[in-house]
Amino acid sequence: MANQGPKSQTILVVGGGIAGVTAAIEAAETGYDVILLERGPALGGRVAQLNRYFPKLCHPTCGLEINFQRIRKLKNLRVVTMASVAGVKGEKGDYTVSVSVSPRYVNANCTACGACAEATDMEVDSPFNYGLSKTKAAYLPHEHAFPMRYVVAPSAIGTPEADKIKAACKYDAVDLEDKGEDFEVNCGAVIWATGWEPYDPEKLESYNYNLSADIVSNVQMERLANHDGPTGGKIVRPSNGEPVKKVAMIQCAGSRDLNHLPYCSRICCLGSLKHAVYVREQYEDAQVDIYYIDLRAHDKLEAFYQRVAADPQVNFVKSKPASIRIDEEGRPVLCGENTITRELYEAPYDLVVLATGMKPAASEGYVPDIAMEQDEYGFLVPSVEGDGGIIPAGVASGPLDVSMSVQSATAAALKAIQAVGPKS
Amino acid sequence: MTVALPEQATRKYDLGFARWVRDNVNGGAKMSMCMQCGMCSGSCPIGTEMDQGPRKLFMMIRAGMKDEVFNSSTIWNCTSCYNCTVRCPRGVPVTYIIQDLAAKAVEFGYVKKVENARFAKAFWWSAKTFGRTDERLMTAKYYFSFGLVEGMKRGLANLKIAIGMVRTKRMHIGMPHKIKDTKGLQAILAKAAEIDARESKGGA
Ligand SMILES: Cc1cc2nc3c(=O)[nH]c(=O)nc-3n(C[C@H](O)[C@H](O)[C@H](O)COP(=O)(O)OP(=O)(O)OC[C@H]3O[C@@H](n4cnc5c(N)ncnc54)[C@H](O)[C@@H]3O)c2cc1C
Ligand code: SF4
Ligand code: SF4
Ligand code: SF4
Ligand code: SF4
Repeated sequence: MANQGPKSQTILVVGGGIAGVTAAIEAAETGYDVILLERGPALGGRVAQLNRYFPKLCHPTCGLEINFQRIRKLKNLRVVTMASVAGVKGEKGDYTVSVSVSPRYVNANCTACGACAEATDMEVDSPFNYGLSKTKAAYLPHEHAFPMRYVVAPSAIGTPEADKIKAACKYDAVDLEDKGEDFEVNCGAVIWATGWEPYDPEKLESYNYNLSADIVSNVQMERLANHDGPTGGKIVRPSNGEPVKKVAMIQCAGSRDLNHLPYCSRICCLGSLKHAVYVREQYEDAQVDIYYIDLRAHDKLEAFYQRVAADPQVNFVKSKPASIRIDEEGRPVLCGENTITRELYEAPYDLVVLATGMKPAASEGYVPDIAMEQDEYGFLVPSVEGDGGIIPAGVASGPLDVSMSVQSATAAALKAIQAVGPKS
Repeated sequence: MTVALPEQATRKYDLGFARWVRDNVNGGAKMSMCMQCGMCSGSCPIGTEMDQGPRKLFMMIRAGMKDEVFNSSTIWNCTSCYNCTVRCPRGVPVTYIIQDLAAKAVEFGYVKKVENARFAKAFWWSAKTFGRTDERLMTAKYYFSFGLVEGMKRGLANLKIAIGMVRTKRMHIGMPHKIKDTKGLQAILAKAAEIDARESKGGA
């Protein structure tokens, strides 16, 4: 074969969130070979942890399930979980990517029968519930996990619990000797869709996140409201399980702040409006106060704001709260200045939700330094001199909501196809 | 019938004031970054003792309310704790701006109307002259800044406290206590004033 054109037409997608999943499917459905790498044990990324989507308030599991059906039909799409990238070399049409797979300790024989989880008493913090609950040391990532396969927590390995877990499995699916593996992939284009991390609320010192269980972050609020979350979907005070009557949302908690994330995370105003709906659906008498600098419901999502604002029990307070203190009864008290009335307030709440922003996952860990670069905030942009063979998508490329992430993923799939050329 | 037009505003707005602050007040150039979030006023430990608080003061500057700004208690009650400056999400050096507005208020003769400004002046006089605060002379200077009669009145009203302070050695009678090297102090202050005159234009 003449050494012309791309050496490989395989498209590699890094990150199995909604953006990566979409890009991989779109590219594979046009006939190209696609490999999708996901660092975690299951696909779906952050949206799998959301309760419902604004503005329609539909369930993310529905859209994810449709995507998983599409994946099942595609023989030319290979999904590798527990996998991340250690290095990328080469150029458009001929990249060599070093992939490193961490041990899951459960192989493809797993039927998700759950006997291993029953066999052990050992518990670890549930990553899926952002630490709001515990899970068994042998666990299914979540109800709708794809692949539907258990994981053994690394902390169990080498303990007698691991032996109990192994002994309980009738299908020879538990492999305590699993060491993971490293391998190389040759591909013609790479789509980088590593998404985001919630901004760490502990860094917002004056909000004293650590002093009260009743101060939660917005991603935790999604779990509190979800039927498979720590409270079975009932929004209660995490400290004592009591119903919430007064709830505060603090906007721009760590975003639009030179001391934290300087940019607007774009989705957290809508997220809090959605959280107000969660609360109001569950409690007829509850009051929700949203503390804001400006409310940003971009584009047509203004209609969602109008809808929520029509509820007389949802109030908007124009103020960036200065601090949260804990009163004698252990309730969080918001302190600050109402900038419309110039009143200084001290307002106690049953539950405070910090609308923390999205930090690009790419700001930590390996990112290829060819064809792509990080902007001043850590989001990825194609580099000007680059050959366009590595393409950022989803929140890795900027603070986007799901529909914008999906659009950027589809665009990335098209660019990847252009990069590897017409199917030979 | 159409509703009558509102009466014309009687307040004076100086539309060039914001620009003047930007160009002449220490840190003033960064004031344009302020997004009126309220973090500064909400963080201020003596916020309840301020008529406006920093956020509103900045809005008043933008609105051109020159006299109200310079007569505001906010610029005199600031304790320079820097809470606001540290927490401001837009990097506005709130404390510097407030401090320099106070200095400018003195320069342009606004202080007569503000009690705290008189006190600050008396405090500064004592610090500058003796290198430390002399409670008795400083208080006297402050009281008599209101005029002879008012000064006597205030002095008499606080006589009991004064005697108590003398008794517990919190205040003394006789020559004022001084630091050893008042000349050195004057030289330092003169140098500081010189640097300030050279560098304190706009920017932080
Ligand atoms: C509180 C909250 C509520 C929200 N609610 C809504 C909503 O109602 N509607 C809406 O439209 N949007 C909402 N969003 C935004 C939405 O979550 C994002 O748009 C969406 O998650 C973006 O998907 P993504 O695939 O780009 O990133 P992610 O969901 O972060 O997925 C990235 C994936 O990549 C994997 N990964 C990361 N690094 C690597 C690596 N090095 N190697 C391999 N894999 C890696 C991760 O494990 C993850 O699975 C909300 C956001 C927040 C914070
Ligand atoms: S690892 Fe074995 S026991 Fe555990 S769920 Fe899978 S098949 Fe069942
Ligand atoms: S979307 Fe709203 S809460 Fe989020 S950073 Fe922007 S303005 Fe702040
Ligand atoms: S904290 Fe900063 S941005 Fe906010 S009102 Fe004060 S000066 Fe303006
Ligand atoms: S520096 Fe002054 S204005 Fe700022 S918080 Fe402290 S006392 Fe208040």
